[in-house]
Amino acid sequence: MRSLIGGLMGATTLAAGLSGAPVAAQDITITMAAPDWPPTRFMKEYFDQTYKSPNGGNTVLEMDFIPWPSFYERVAASLTSGEQKYQMIVTDSQWLGAFVEGGYYMNLTDKINADPELKTIMQDLHPALVSAYSTYPHRTRAQLEEAGEVPAPGVNYYGFPQFPDTYVTYYREDIFCHDGEMADFEAKYGTNLPCTYEDWQDTDWAKWGQIGEFFQRKKGEMLAGETLDDDFYGIAYQAGKGYDFSTMQVNAFVWQNGGDIWDESKAPEAQAEGVVNSDVAVEAFDEYLSYLQYMPPVAQTGQMDIFVIQDLYMQGKVGAIIDWVGLGEPVLDPSASKVHDKSAFGPAPGTRQADGSIDRTGNIGGQPFVLTTWNSDEVVDEALNVVKWWLSPETQLEAVKNGGQSGRMSVMADPVYNDLRPWNRAHVEMIDWQKDVWHIPEFFEMLTQQQEEFDKAITGQITAKEALDAVAEFQQELLEDGGYID
Amino acid sequence: MARRYREIGKAGWGYTLITSIVGLIYFSPVLWIILTAFKTRTDALAVPPKLFFTPTLENFTSVFYRSSITTGTSQSTDMALYFFNSIFIAGTSVGLALIVGTLAAYAFSRYPLRGNDTYLFIILTTRMMPPIVVIIPIFLMFRLSGLAGSYWGIILLYTAFNIPFSVWLVKSFFDELNPEIEDAARMDGASESRVFFKFCIPQILAGLSATFVFGLILTWNEFLFALLLTGVETRTVPVAMARTLGGEVGVDYGLLAAIVTLFLLPIFFVTFLLQNQLLRGVTFGTVKK
Amino acid sequence: MANENSRTGGFGAWLLDPKRRGALLVTPAITILFVMNIFPLLWSFGLSFFNYRASSLKVPTFRGLSNYERVLTDDKVWERFQTTAIIVGSSVILQLIVGFLLALMFAKAFPMRRIVLMLVLTPMMLSFVSVGVFFKLFYEPTFGVVSYLLSNFSDDRFVVLGTPAGAIAGIVIADAWMWSPFVMLLVLAGLVSVPKYLYEAAEIDRASSWRRFWTITFPYIKSLLLLAVLFRTIETFKLFDIVYIITEGGPGSSTETIAVYLYRTAFQFFRTSQSSALAYIVLFIVVVLTNLYLYAVNRRAEEVD
Repeated sequence: MRSLIGGLMGATTLAAGLSGAPVAAQDITITMAAPDWPPTRFMKEYFDQTYKSPNGGNTVLEMDFIPWPSFYERVAASLTSGEQKYQMIVTDSQWLGAFVEGGYYMNLTDKINADPELKTIMQDLHPALVSAYSTYPHRTRAQLEEAGEVPAPGVNYYGFPQFPDTYVTYYREDIFCHDGEMADFEAKYGTNLPCTYEDWQDTDWAKWGQIGEFFQRKKGEMLAGETLDDDFYGIAYQAGKGYDFSTMQVNAFVWQNGGDIWDESKAPEAQAEGVVNSDVAVEAFDEYLSYLQYMPPVAQTGQMDIFVIQDLYMQGKVGAIIDWVGLGEPVLDPSASKVHDKSAFGPAPGTRQADGSIDRTGNIGGQPFVLTTWNSDEVVDEALNVVKWWLSPETQLEAVKNGGQSGRMSVMADPVYNDLRPWNRAHVEMIDWQKDVWHIPEFFEMLTQQQEEFDKAITGQITAKEALDAVAEFQQELLEDGGYID
Repeated sequence: MARRYREIGKAGWGYTLITSIVGLIYFSPVLWIILTAFKTRTDALAVPPKLFFTPTLENFTSVFYRSSITTGTSQSTDMALYFFNSIFIAGTSVGLALIVGTLAAYAFSRYPLRGNDTYLFIILTTRMMPPIVVIIPIFLMFRLSGLAGSYWGIILLYTAFNIPFSVWLVKSFFDELNPEIEDAARMDGASESRVFFKFCIPQILAGLSATFVFGLILTWNEFLFALLLTGVETRTVPVAMARTLGGEVGVDYGLLAAIVTLFLLPIFFVTFLLQNQLLRGVTFGTVKK
Repeated sequence: MANENSRTGGFGAWLLDPKRRGALLVTPAITILFVMNIFPLLWSFGLSFFNYRASSLKVPTFRGLSNYERVLTDDKVWERFQTTAIIVGSSVILQLIVGFLLALMFAKAFPMRRIVLMLVLTPMMLSFVSVGVFFKLFYEPTFGVVSYLLSNFSDDRFVVLGTPAGAIAGIVIADAWMWSPFVMLLVLAGLVSVPKYLYEAAEIDRASSWRRFWTITFPYIKSLLLLAVLFRTIETFKLFDIVYIITEGGPGSSTETIAVYLYRTAFQFFRTSQSSALAYIVLFIVVVLTNLYLYAVNRRAEEVD
């Protein structure tokens, strides 16, 4: 019976939404598609505990928790079939184009312009996040900042941060700060083994490679004064075929070396051919590949995704990894992690520039959430109230305390923020460096083809140049067909 | 009319020992999964693999309860509901397919239509289509008819999936019956429904139960349509299981193993009870007496 | 219906006429099948002639056979078909061998056979997802049991999924493990259907066991084996979850089966119409296989009768 009642309620909301008939302000149900994990579970719990609708009515936030691995399929099927089930949706930033073009995600530019409170929120959100999570057609951070005002004229806004994510370095304090290991490393490479946060701020990829070489030990050898009962590895980062589990890291290498991916914000002039496979890009990709030899053997299979490196790290098989902040919480959990009391976090390494500074440009992760297009004005207004509630400093701070993250600069600047979670300092430092991969509807086709070519290079079937040539050729043709390149 | 199969020779306990060893080797991945259900994450990923460990029941608790993020109190995961859903949806749809399929099978066997074989073939073809193609139309249809998220929607869909198989299998059982007995009954003035219920059905009960078990095995673990067409309240175990495959950690091996183990129990016992009939079921009824 | 019946007795009588009994009994099954299966199939068949993309607002236009042309001239598609053929072929052969051996083992009666048989039948009852996840764990070079067992013989960790051949083998073993019991049941059914008197006669003739197998047993299981091949081929053609979980189609594209590619085209690339066209090409192949299958079934029936 429960389902019958639920179904009827859903149908009522839907019918009201479709016909545009007035909905009683008292009871609005907002159904939200959300991946099933702690940051969204928190949102639901905290909503139930604290949310009071400003219109005095009773608002229900119905969360449809969908398992992460199937989240995309479920959302895509719901949207493209016209089911119109959801009023709000948590989405990956890359999906924006496909679902905006499909007419499913609501353009919020006018709403933001009309609402001073929303405007204030948008101004306080980190511009890298606004660029990645909100704009379509995509506008880069530089383009937004050039406009000098928020919202920038002529830019369309869609999403708000639900969980902003960056990748940082997770490392084993017990071995990186071990006197004997530090002395040995210094003796071998003439530079220090990064132990403190400040040390990691000065760590570039070259040193990352040295760490990898240094800590690669066989079963039976010594590590930090103890005999190893299994092979040990110094470093790992993502190199998996699934979803975007190599692109996110490869892009960092390309950008940091001055190369580029196809830049959708400069369409239709921007090219793929000659850019994606430029000499700089090939060199950068080669550098990415060169460190794989120091990583655990799963790297040879092209299956070393963000979860595999997390597991290898948690089970004490690897000394340092580069992984998303969103996967940090289990590392501190004694029941899942052998290194829960030995871990520290620093910014991800980068490429040293001519002036000695380090470029850490990275590919942003995390998810925004959006509103859908088929709702009545009452539902939209109430949904925006929920947005304001979620992005209020109080809620955001509470989210961070409970393992979430905030996109608001004022919250990140709060003196208590850095101490709330051990990776927060690194996260704030990294967020300034973030750019994003493409947002156009064809992104998945580009991503899949690219992941496949990258995977061939990672597993040693082809060279970096062959891989990037194939990617560039494919993208050039696809984008010309789609009218993105003149 | 018990269809007990005949064995090629008989063997003693020594043979049992040998086959048990082979059987256990074959079973070992399943055993591994069952053992994992009692392990912590660290034990599950231990190198070398741990055969002896302190068992924990925590995974089984987590199947049904999770702790709240804000208050730490324990909340239901609704998994009990999903188990009910799976049993209810699979049981009803396989049963329904069996009833509808039996009627059709009887007709195909006793009252052949013009183009009988063509109909039968078309029915079978629907089972052969890669399911991904029909998703968008079915999704659209479910929305228009209001079936999305309801029990009836998914039950009818699974019924449709099971009909081809049921029709083919049950028809072969009817084909094997001796029509003379039925004719004799008709001569004695028995009505058609009496012939059907009193003479035909009792003779193929074993076959019907085999069909049921086989349909159950094919339906029990269905994932794709369950993912897309069930709602929060009608979700089945295979869909709920997917939450253990990634999120904040990769695969939660212990929890996944616990769900798999619990989910194996009902179908394991049904299969065990109807084991001899299953032997007949898989051959599409081609094995003669 | 009963209501209608009482009001219009004429129609009721017409409906229940023995001439129409067959059609009447078939109706419920056909109705459900039509609504839930055939209608959506026809819908996608229609889509396959347009340039519809589920993610786009553009009104689809009629494109005739261009989707079919595009799919059939795409080198990638042929590559995927080849990969599929290799995986399906080797998996089915392995299932046959293992299933056959298991069947021979269980053909004899022995104490506790029902229980031992259950050990072998269980893999079929697991979900594809859990089989995929755990086999992937078994193959993982650091945590996996396979690599651990082999590490006693070599200094380096054994990496199962590192090469195209290894990845294909990994998938084939997982799939074959899961479905060999199915083949076993088929063959076992054939073995136990051999009339006992034939064996008794052979016993008197003192025929060698090899000869007994070829002349008595094999004829009884021959068509059943063919049946197993076809049925498993048809099902393995749809193999998706295991591949997607264990290798994601990697390394590179060496394990991208047609089912994985179809999924990507439909759900990731949103080439809805093109995916329908591809699906119908797959269906065509499967229908041909089905026909062969039915031919085998019929032959078997003739042989035994």
